[in-house]
Amino acid sequence: MQSTQNSKHGMRIGIDIGGTHSDGVLIDGTRLVAAAKARTRHDDLLASINLLLTHLLAGQNANWVQCINLSSTLTTNAIITGLVAPVGVLVSGGPGIAVENYRIGSQFHHIPGSLSHVGEETSPIDMDALDAALATCQADGINHFAVIGKFSPRNPEHELQMAEPARPTAQVLCCGHQLSGRLNLGRRINSTYFNAAVWDIARSFAAALKDSLHAFGLQHAEMNILKADGGTLPLARALEAPVQSILSGPAASVMGVLATMPLQEDVVLLDIGGTTTDIALFAGGQPLLEREGIAIAGRPTLVRALRVASIGIGGDSYIHVEADGVHCGPERLGPCMAAGGDAPALMDAFNVLGRAKFGDVALSEKGMATLAAQQGIDAKELAQSALSAAATAIETALRGLIDEVNSKPVYTIHEILEERRIEPRQLVLIGGPAEVFQPLLQEKTDMETLCPQLASVTNAIGAALCRSTSALVLHADTSRGWLYAPTLEVSKRIDRNFTLEDAVTEAKDLLKTDMAEAGIKLADADMQVTQADSFNMVERGYTMGKNIRVSVQVKPAVLGSTKPSSAVEVVHAK
Amino acid sequence: MLTAPTSLGIIFFPAYDWAISPTHPEREERLLYTQDQFREEGLFDIDGINEYRPLRAEDTDILRAHFCFPTIEAVCTESHRISAGGAIRAAQLVLKGETQRAFALVRPPGHHAMKVVHGNRGFCNINIEAVMVEWIRAHSGIRRIAIVDTDCHHGDGTQDVYWHDPDVLFISLHQDGRTLYPGSGFLHENGGPKAAGRTINIPLPPQTADTGYLKVVEEAVLPILEAFKPEMVINSAGQDNHYSDPITNMHFSAQGYARLNELLKPDIAVLEGGYSIKSALPYVNLGICLAMAGCDYSAVREPDYAPSRLRETPDTLAYIDELCGQVRDAYFHPEMPPAKKEGHFFVRERRVYYDTDNIIEKQREKLKDCNNCQGYRLIQTESSSILPCLGVELFHDSCPVCESEAHAAFTDKHGNSLVAQLMDHKNRDYRYRNQN
Ligand SMILES: [Zn+2]
Ligand SMILES: [Zn+2]
Ligand SMILES: [Zn+2]
Repeated sequence: MQSTQNSKHGMRIGIDIGGTHSDGVLIDGTRLVAAAKARTRHDDLLASINLLLTHLLAGQNANWVQCINLSSTLTTNAIITGLVAPVGVLVSGGPGIAVENYRIGSQFHHIPGSLSHVGEETSPIDMDALDAALATCQADGINHFAVIGKFSPRNPEHELQMAEPARPTAQVLCCGHQLSGRLNLGRRINSTYFNAAVWDIARSFAAALKDSLHAFGLQHAEMNILKADGGTLPLARALEAPVQSILSGPAASVMGVLATMPLQEDVVLLDIGGTTTDIALFAGGQPLLEREGIAIAGRPTLVRALRVASIGIGGDSYIHVEADGVHCGPERLGPCMAAGGDAPALMDAFNVLGRAKFGDVALSEKGMATLAAQQGIDAKELAQSALSAAATAIETALRGLIDEVNSKPVYTIHEILEERRIEPRQLVLIGGPAEVFQPLLQEKTDMETLCPQLASVTNAIGAALCRSTSALVLHADTSRGWLYAPTLEVSKRIDRNFTLEDAVTEAKDLLKTDMAEAGIKLADADMQVTQADSFNMVERGYTMGKNIRVSVQVKPAVLGSTKPSSAVEVVHAK
Repeated sequence: MLTAPTSLGIIFFPAYDWAISPTHPEREERLLYTQDQFREEGLFDIDGINEYRPLRAEDTDILRAHFCFPTIEAVCTESHRISAGGAIRAAQLVLKGETQRAFALVRPPGHHAMKVVHGNRGFCNINIEAVMVEWIRAHSGIRRIAIVDTDCHHGDGTQDVYWHDPDVLFISLHQDGRTLYPGSGFLHENGGPKAAGRTINIPLPPQTADTGYLKVVEEAVLPILEAFKPEMVINSAGQDNHYSDPITNMHFSAQGYARLNELLKPDIAVLEGGYSIKSALPYVNLGICLAMAGCDYSAVREPDYAPSRLRETPDTLAYIDELCGQVRDAYFHPEMPPAKKEGHFFVRERRVYYDTDNIIEKQREKLKDCNNCQGYRLIQTESSSILPCLGVELFHDSCPVCESEAHAAFTDKHGNSLVAQLMDHKNRDYRYRNQN
């Protein structure tokens, strides 16, 4: 375990700013000490945080708080609403899919110049084109730049060459190779663009937040930002890579479940809300990650994320009848009728069948009866059909996700013959309507369904107990005598006898050193090797050397298990 | 972001843990740089292009296409089963309508593997296209299939498997056999006595480049395909026509390969050879994928691509011009030498050399000439390493007489074969009979 994150008397604060509610908890060791909830003020996130902190710290000694982990919608909302800084995007492409296909932002410039897939220059950067692009950006008043080269994880040289003349006028300048060591030009362009675009927003928020923490006497506490992969980044690091903080909400909830109930098996987690249901998978108790990265605003990125599928089924899913039968969702027209809505929704169907007693049951019955009469059927029959449509939609989605994970491509004969399939037998339901859905999904899925009595602040508990995660990609070529780890900008000479084992050791050391610089001590067991391949490079029948690829990660995990005690009351802060 | 007008499934299986030998061209590293290129291009982020894993070919899948002696295990490893399974997955995607087209980017290759298999020939053990074609026939109503072999080497294995099949049109474009392994694939090799004109060979002169190659496709291959009217077109897609390939002498480019697939519009492509793993494969594979998906491929070119240095001489183009006419004749007016006959049987005797495994096979094939059906065939085979074996193939439309004769040959206890294998397409019965 990461010892600095687990000091004996350290108290931890976890805050999750959600779409409607913001939750906060104070945890001592693994004991829940205080919990609070507040409405999220999207125009003033800091006010929501301050409100939570006021309640959490009432009667507590702020000096004992060792760290604060924050999951917020700050960068996500900025990107989705488009309220971000204008960015000049400079891209060098090369043979392949035309660069124009990746256009993003109002100032997108293709700069001729290319590297091959092994990182060798095949044509130099066109400096005249670069100057012209920068002049256009300057005329447009642009001082934020995203610089991306094709195959820059193999060789950053072209990105550095393009960045150089932009530096004098740049307030913000992000290079693709610093964000991820993985190949994917389109995703690297999107990630780097978003990183530059939300840079200022993240900084000014952090500055205000720091003042605020000071006022609470929390200036000595470490501040960490939650990521979509269920891990945290120290604030200083998060400000260098603000894009890493997007879409962390579902991760807080997944990690919260992991922190409050023991999960060792293959498990499906369903987080059922009003509008949507989020589906996550655990393999042997470990949450699964996206293969490439998460998408935001319809754009795929290289930002690591837990794999969460979302479908449009929730308590407020609208019930409607089409020629082919009764449908439920994916639209939500408003709250269900039992809660004062205008159209019958899924929760009304539960009410009519006596499976729930939510809100004003009479209103549900009235609404469902009206819709049923229009179709010439019985209200109970309509309700039953709606429930079964919802259950089918959920079941189809979760089977689809399991199939997708089990059919993920593999590249060796060994993996095909020795594959471990995910076969969940347990379904964990959380979220507002979870209990109501339990019997329905139990019948439908044939899985053991659990409906744990989780605190309503589980997300914040997850945020509080997350640890730092990181990943590193290393590439070595013994024929060229060269080793390169792009995100850390480490490159060094190696000799011909450099082996795969050497590369794994090197990658772990680099990751460990880098985390130590951020104040996090890693044990070997915290690191997981996700790729370790070595290929003989043969030319004209002779072995020229080895091409080695290693990826190491610190996987998402929680620091301990918290039993939410009924003695701790959740304060609704106003 | 890009959207594919035609959805494409790619079965990418580089077999990173398998090689014929450490420095053999067919080694672990072969598709490594192709994968790097695909990843950097974000090929699988294109809406409509998806990646799938291969299936594994089971015994029946292999025995539908091959006589394997003495056993399947003796001639076929897991790598071959998975490579063939990749081709099967491609077919499954298209048959089920999961994707409109599919590309099995798998290794090891298969187009030099013949009907009878004793070992490895030209890097191939199992003919993955043939296993796939027979899988398609067993799992759908499709019978009429065209296989266009665009590998630089003559697809002698596939030619052999479908030599007598009038429902499979096999067209091979390759570097002239007088200048390259396996030394066959001449115009006069035109199909068996009951399948005249269903095997078409197009031997191209060395140094043929984009212009000449695409001319042959447009003026010979496409008109023949149009006349044959296949239910499905398969590209047996070797990439060794590339100007940088180390073991051939052609001048084809990534742009040429992409255009070829745009013209051919194959339902399924299956990777064959291609050993310029750094300079050609990343670009050629990308070009093929984009072209099959109907995406713009105009920016796909090799970093050192210089078309002016690759052009054919006027003489070569004139030769190719003439060749196009001869090729069309081979389909529309096949002139066949009289086949050798013994009673009611067409007879072929030959020797087959397995270069990789250094095996010499002696084969005697008898094809029943029946007026009511396609007949049946008996293949007696022995090699430098095993005693005589017998293969009995009964075609899907066999008449009752042929059916009983074929079964009698298979069950004959007095024959001298060590192993007999039945390939009964009519009753879908595929099995061995051991003599002792
Ligand atoms: Zn060929
Ligand atoms: Zn070949
Ligand atoms: Zn007959």
